[in-house]
Amino acid sequence: MKTEQMAEEIREVNLSYMLLAKQMVRQDKASAIYRLGIKKELADIIENLTHGQILKMVGANLLLCRFRIDDRLILEMLANHNRSHAMSQSHAAILMAGQPLEQLA
Amino acid sequence: MRNKSMLTEARQIHLSSELISLGARLQLLETETNLSRERLLKLYKEIKGVSPPKGMLPFSVDWFLSWQANIHSSLFVDIYRYLLAHTDSRGIDAVVKSYKLYLEHVVAGGLECVLSMTRAWTLVRFLEGRILKAVPCRKCGGHFVMHAEDLHADYVCGLCHVPSRAGKTAKQRKLDTAEAPKALVS
Repeated sequence: MKTEQMAEEIREVNLSYMLLAKQMVRQDKASAIYRLGIKKELADIIENLTHGQILKMVGANLLLCRFRIDDRLILEMLANHNRSHAMSQSHAAILMAGQPLEQLA
Repeated sequence: MRNKSMLTEARQIHLSSELISLGARLQLLETETNLSRERLLKLYKEIKGVSPPKGMLPFSVDWFLSWQANIHSSLFVDIYRYLLAHTDSRGIDAVVKSYKLYLEHVVAGGLECVLSMTRAWTLVRFLEGRILKAVPCRKCGGHFVMHAEDLHADYVCGLCHVPSRAGKTAKQRKLDTAEAPKALVS
């Protein structure tokens, strides 16, 4: 993949991520905080972002969303489903609901 | 107590209709709202088209501890605890939101909806009454519903250590055998 193409795709992912996140927060903040796995303070900021601000944010060559699964156990549960897939999914959801959140400095 | 404010009443009717469509029993509505029994009955019939089921609510504590029910209950409780810890959502509002998120998970995973709205509400009351408790598993660190009075230091959850014949209920067997002939035909 060429660098320009990659940058373009990162921009697209950023844009859809930010727009989706903002829509989710506006629709139902509590559920959005659970689904996105973010702090309330961050949800408040996202809620008040204007489209202009979002467009400025997504232009960088860095992804705005972080990889959420930093636990080997959860990753294995979601990726390899040898026994019951539904059960490993539930197990992963239980573990992810108990994960600590990223701190907003 | 009758409430005089029309706005409060409108909010409570909205909450009740949401609870009814999620499958809540009448006793739950009577506890969570100030609406009269007659109005709740009317609302129930209007939404569901049938009279509400009579009789006592399920009150068994041990139901939440059997293997499959425990996994579903634990997932619901973990979502509920997450909402309490990280959002402003409280009380019945948090219960409804957690239950909806739990339902979403059930639909996404193609699971059977084991935990009903009324059971979920009862579960929260058991947690508040310190009869049940969310206990961390020694192996995976996830929190699972257990008796508050049990010893938990060495607890391993039902998903890390799946008991033999887990989830193989009579109902499941019936489903499996019912589906087999269809697969043969196609």
